[in-house]
Amino acid sequence: MDPAQTRYATMVTSVGDQVAEFVAQGLLIWFAEGAPEELHFFAVLHRPTVTTGGVRPGDLVRIDDTAFRVTAVGEVANENMVNLGHMDLKANGAHEAPLPGDICLEELPLPEPRPGTTLVIEGDAAEADPTRR
Amino acid sequence: MADYKAVRVEAGRGGWGGPLTIKPTAERSLIYSVTGGGIHPVAQRIADMTGGEPFDGFKSSAPFDKIAVAVIDCGGTARVGVYPMKKVPTVDVHATSPAGPLAMFIKEDIFVSGVGLENVKEA
Repeated sequence: MDPAQTRYATMVTSVGDQVAEFVAQGLLIWFAEGAPEELHFFAVLHRPTVTTGGVRPGDLVRIDDTAFRVTAVGEVANENMVNLGHMDLKANGAHEAPLPGDICLEELPLPEPRPGTTLVIEGDAAEADPTRR
Repeated sequence: MADYKAVRVEAGRGGWGGPLTIKPTAERSLIYSVTGGGIHPVAQRIADMTGGEPFDGFKSSAPFDKIAVAVIDCGGTARVGVYPMKKVPTVDVHATSPAGPLAMFIKEDIFVSGVGLENVKEA
């Protein structure tokens, strides 16, 4: 088996007022720090350390100690993640992304991030697809 | 004093909503690009054609009442609803339709998507 590659790694710096409500609906919206203020109320703001990208189905998203398998990745999700630190994580188990920005995860309860929470996305290094970065 | 012109922005292939007529004013002069990699070419074209001022929302912030139009590269969930909710005309360069937690604010008279350079025309 090939070694795991870290596609993305980041740490939460602040959490918007409405995030808990969205977590209950299986949705976590992320933006890197520096996103316009009007996006803060529903977003998890974070400071990334690895922004390689190339997330694909089968990868693992780890939020602190909880791991979620990626089931589908929308066509603009990697571009948004790499350029803006923006992710729409949806724990809906979908095998086709309903929206182009979606990163779909297996259908498990999402945790509510707090400042200091870490997110790491890893996948098989051999399957890293540079065309999706 | 700047002399602003109007443009008509139509939905592109697979897009939704619009057409929107965008005409900046002295009070609402900003062409607000909330996109990856600086001012998006669609925002730049709207600015060039109208005389509005291109503005990078990820570099600095602007009050909503200064914004003539927001140009986004949203994948369908988050940004698509925020600017319509604030009554700011919104142009998505991706072909999205009303969805996400703020879908109820996304109407044809305030939102248009799938927009490429060829969908921005003289009004």
